[in-house]
Amino acid sequence: MSEAVALAAEPYAKRRSFGQALILAAPAIFLAAFCITPIILLIQMSFAHHDDGGLWSPGFELTQYKALADPVFLRVVSFSLLLAASTAVVTICIAFPAAYFISRMRRRAQVAWLVFVLGALSLSEVLIVFAFQVLLSSSGVVVKTLVDLHLMATPHSLYPNLGAVVICLVYLVLPYVILFLYPAVSQLDEEMPQAASTMGASPLRTFFLVTTPLMRGPLVSSAALVVIFTVSSYLTPLVLGRPETWTVGVHLSNTAMDAGDMPLAAAQAVVLVTAIIGLLALVRRLGGGGRTAPV
Amino acid sequence: MTRASPAIWAQRAFMTLLAAFIAAPLVVVTGVSFNDSRRMSFPPTHFSLTWYKDFFGDPDWMTSLKATLTISSMAALISVAIALPIAYAAWRYRSRVSKVLAGVGAGLFLLPGVVVAVMFSAFWGVTGHVGHIENVAFSHAAVFMGIPLSLLAVGFESIDRGLLEAAKTMGAGEADAFRMVIRPAMTPYIICALAYVFVLSMNEYLIAYMVAGFTVQTLPIRIFTNMRAGYEPTMCVAAVLFMAVGFCIFSLLATIGDLPKLMGRQRPLRN
Repeated sequence: MSEAVALAAEPYAKRRSFGQALILAAPAIFLAAFCITPIILLIQMSFAHHDDGGLWSPGFELTQYKALADPVFLRVVSFSLLLAASTAVVTICIAFPAAYFISRMRRRAQVAWLVFVLGALSLSEVLIVFAFQVLLSSSGVVVKTLVDLHLMATPHSLYPNLGAVVICLVYLVLPYVILFLYPAVSQLDEEMPQAASTMGASPLRTFFLVTTPLMRGPLVSSAALVVIFTVSSYLTPLVLGRPETWTVGVHLSNTAMDAGDMPLAAAQAVVLVTAIIGLLALVRRLGGGGRTAPV
Repeated sequence: MTRASPAIWAQRAFMTLLAAFIAAPLVVVTGVSFNDSRRMSFPPTHFSLTWYKDFFGDPDWMTSLKATLTISSMAALISVAIALPIAYAAWRYRSRVSKVLAGVGAGLFLLPGVVVAVMFSAFWGVTGHVGHIENVAFSHAAVFMGIPLSLLAVGFESIDRGLLEAAKTMGAGEADAFRMVIRPAMTPYIICALAYVFVLSMNEYLIAYMVAGFTVQTLPIRIFTNMRAGYEPTMCVAAVLFMAVGFCIFSLLATIGDLPKLMGRQRPLRN
């Protein structure tokens, strides 16, 4: 009996694997060429020899990694991580309630908000940075309002400074986090919070003691997402910040583009990615799975 | 009518402030683009379309616009074309190979933008194929692959396998099942994925700059170069154009598909 089943299944299994191979050949080639090769190349380059004029020759040396141990680079990395962590906290404090409220709206309002958030998400960092420059400039609305309210004596520009960098970074990642939390939040059971309020808990208490713990996984993953994005942010700290508030992202691209030292940039990239992978592993430990959005 | 509770008021106030925060930069840029002054000032004093005329009359801006649109449509088509078979095999055959491929494909999206930019700049340097427009398109397609992969996976999972079984029992072949069940169910997801990658690629700066910035000036690159060189009102026009395209595409998506479902909501939504 079981033999007969196996016999009948065999040609099907063969056809199936042939079909699969046929379908997956092109994607496999594409991914090998454009995803895996560049990564291998990057790692190889980080051990290569740096020649003058933005050139490099293959080899195996640890010059770059030794250069990274200097205190300046380490300070930049730790500053970037700190900036990223603060951005993550601020963003989640806004995005979590926002996603929750959006998911409880009527369909039309919900669709309108999703379009709005997706629209903001798709905006180029270049545009957002530029808009904040206009907004925070000495002739901008914010400064004018502050002067009118006598909160500022003489009009002066509100950037470059760290506050401007954080606000702009929050703006950049906010739509991502809202959309990332949206599926999880819309799946939340109404029963538990309802039970809590029937038993006399205030809406705030319910939110913090019942809803938030249910969302731990997605919240931790979205924090990780923000950190990845912010640590390597380039345009925002470059335009709205001062050199001492530049992130690893700015230093990395300066190494690659201005100094033309690709091997050093590659080594910096490898270190950064290793740090991020470590962080993700930690997050996995802390938060566990949770639903994720198609973002 | 019942009176809204303080909690409802707090919620409304919060959402209004949030909307204002998200809208602020957009409103400012739009306002400045319609102002007749050469200075960067807001609120606008005199309404004028001068900068729009300048923008569309400037061959440099038009070249950038064309390059940007070429890159983003290519990137969208390539990444969806690669992601579709992977997502299909993962769903249809529960294939392990396709799961690995999906992991690799989504991986670049999780790497920091700067790292990816350095990586691709090195990659194209080694291939000797430097500074071409298709380099940017292929790089974008690889980076944004995670989006079509997860959107299409959600789409395939939403297809009722019972429906496929039913089609098979009633004598429908593989091709029929594909035409009658899979294609109609997947169309909104495919369009959504195309739109998403298109818009992201259109707005991407750093990779485009590092891969081919010295020969191909996309709109974000030109805007940034202008920004560094000093303010010019035409760049606001470019910015407004970007926002308009993004919002149009996502509004269109909302009218042809069920946007909450596309964004991952599984529970049905009452009207």
